[in-house]
Amino acid sequence: MALNLVVCLKQVPNPDLQFQVAPDGKDIKREGLNYKVNGADEYALEEAVRLKEKHGGRVVVLTLGPKRTEPMLREALAKGADEAVRVAYDDPAAFDVGKNARILAAAIRTLPHDLVLTGVQSDDYAYSATGGLVAGLLGLPHASVVTRVAVHDGDLEVACELEGGLERVVALPRPALLTIQFGANTPRYAPLPAIMKAARQPIKEIGPAALGLPGWDAIPLPYAFGVVRLSPPVAKGHAEMITGPIPEQAKKLAQLLREKGFVRR
Amino acid sequence: MAGGILVIAEHLDGKVAPSTLELIAAATSLRVERHGVRLVVFGHGVKELADHLAGYTVDVLVAEHPLLAEYTGDAYVQAVRGIVESTNPRLVLIAHTAQGYDLAPALAGAMDLPVLTNCLAIDLQEGRLVAARRILNEKVHVEVEVRSDRPIVVTMRPGATPPQGTGRGTMSVTEVPVSIDPAAVRVKFVRMERPEVADIDLSSADVIVSAGRGIQKKENLRLVEEFAKAIGGVVGASRPLTDLEWLPKTRQVGQSGKTVRPKLYVACGISGAMQHIAGMKDAGLILAINTDPTAPIFEVAHVGFVANVLELLPAVLKELKAG
Repeated sequence: MALNLVVCLKQVPNPDLQFQVAPDGKDIKREGLNYKVNGADEYALEEAVRLKEKHGGRVVVLTLGPKRTEPMLREALAKGADEAVRVAYDDPAAFDVGKNARILAAAIRTLPHDLVLTGVQSDDYAYSATGGLVAGLLGLPHASVVTRVAVHDGDLEVACELEGGLERVVALPRPALLTIQFGANTPRYAPLPAIMKAARQPIKEIGPAALGLPGWDAIPLPYAFGVVRLSPPVAKGHAEMITGPIPEQAKKLAQLLREKGFVRR
Repeated sequence: MAGGILVIAEHLDGKVAPSTLELIAAATSLRVERHGVRLVVFGHGVKELADHLAGYTVDVLVAEHPLLAEYTGDAYVQAVRGIVESTNPRLVLIAHTAQGYDLAPALAGAMDLPVLTNCLAIDLQEGRLVAARRILNEKVHVEVEVRSDRPIVVTMRPGATPPQGTGRGTMSVTEVPVSIDPAAVRVKFVRMERPEVADIDLSSADVIVSAGRGIQKKENLRLVEEFAKAIGGVVGASRPLTDLEWLPKTRQVGQSGKTVRPKLYVACGISGAMQHIAGMKDAGLILAINTDPTAPIFEVAHVGFVANVLELLPAVLKELKAG
């Protein structure tokens, strides 16, 4: 029952950073940003590697992005992926999730896949749409916000997280697509020998020609997408901000708690 | 009967999701020409629910089928597809809930439609849809536009629009036929699992002190617990901490955890992802402690302390003891 597993990884700017809008208002300033693998995708990768370890098979990690994504792919190889593929779509912003998903879906068609895994959401654009779109485009059954995966002979049983702590358990046949939730497992660290080995492994590059396209803009889209503008968020409300040395802030906080009657005497 | 806006209702256990009323309000405020706004209730045995929803000043379509008794992406995509094809709306509005972002992109993929998700506000202007979104951990606002002659699938973030109230009188309820090919429903509902009983019921606490990634180490929870005790509160957590199993899942505040409305909420080292804010924004007094002055938690907090929680809390405890 060896499984062909494809994991979609996205590289995102570290979301803990502060961001500035580029002068033309169409993107953030990207110079000097540090990038990392999208949080939820780490759980998708770990889930795939665990399924391979349990049932046999192969894990291919796939990303859409510029050359800077290569260290992320090597890290995935070091954590147990067998092959890394970069779709060389070099738009540094790539705001159009529909276009991204259509290119990814075209690339997945060229790979054997019993199970496609993505993270539930990207930390940068937070669409939660790539997985569902790819499933719809490829005609795969899918389940979202998955926290547990069990593989049976012909099918899968997965738990999908809903609001308020409810979980919906569903069964679906393979091939299928799952979007994996944060916390679904505990992602491993890459062992040093594996990191050394991954540094020498080749990364397969797919350009538009490999997918039968003259260029990425030739991918058919049923719409025109545009970024109108980026701006700093206009807060509906904002806290009264207390700054300054810690002892002074502590005095103010303690005083506030007393005034409002929250301190037990 | 082309045009207008199709709103997909969400319900569970016979109850309408609050986000559905928000969608009705968002759709109604767009004031589209011709057929206006129609709400579709999919399910099995949901006629009563549909009648109830017609009280919110919206025409309701009821689409019933045994295969819609429990939500599955496959059955819903087929059912929604049928209605989108027969009504050809300009927009299909769906809530950005776990069910909504399971359905919306899959529907868009299967029908080759444009899709925009997790929108805070939308507007239709001269043949284009303009949507306002928040990106990069809520730190950047972005407006994007989509032009298409096909229906555009949109999901709206819960809590972003005030909900529709009930109006005078009720609107029409029309049953619409649904055809679903059972062989194409590959995803099968197995069971629903309910959350375990909590050690502490966060939702009844008057004072909650929640810890986030800013506490850095599990050992530092002791500090948060000590502070909570000093002000008669209980300890909650943001999602990353329950994922790390530093605290049980039952202590998680947010969309996938508990929604709380305490008199006092203190967010310690929590940046304020939308999932967390959805669960605590209605607290009486919100205090936030975070090193990053641009953290989105400060938008919902009443008073914000720009400090490392691991330094500030010991100092506050000292102050409180000094009385």
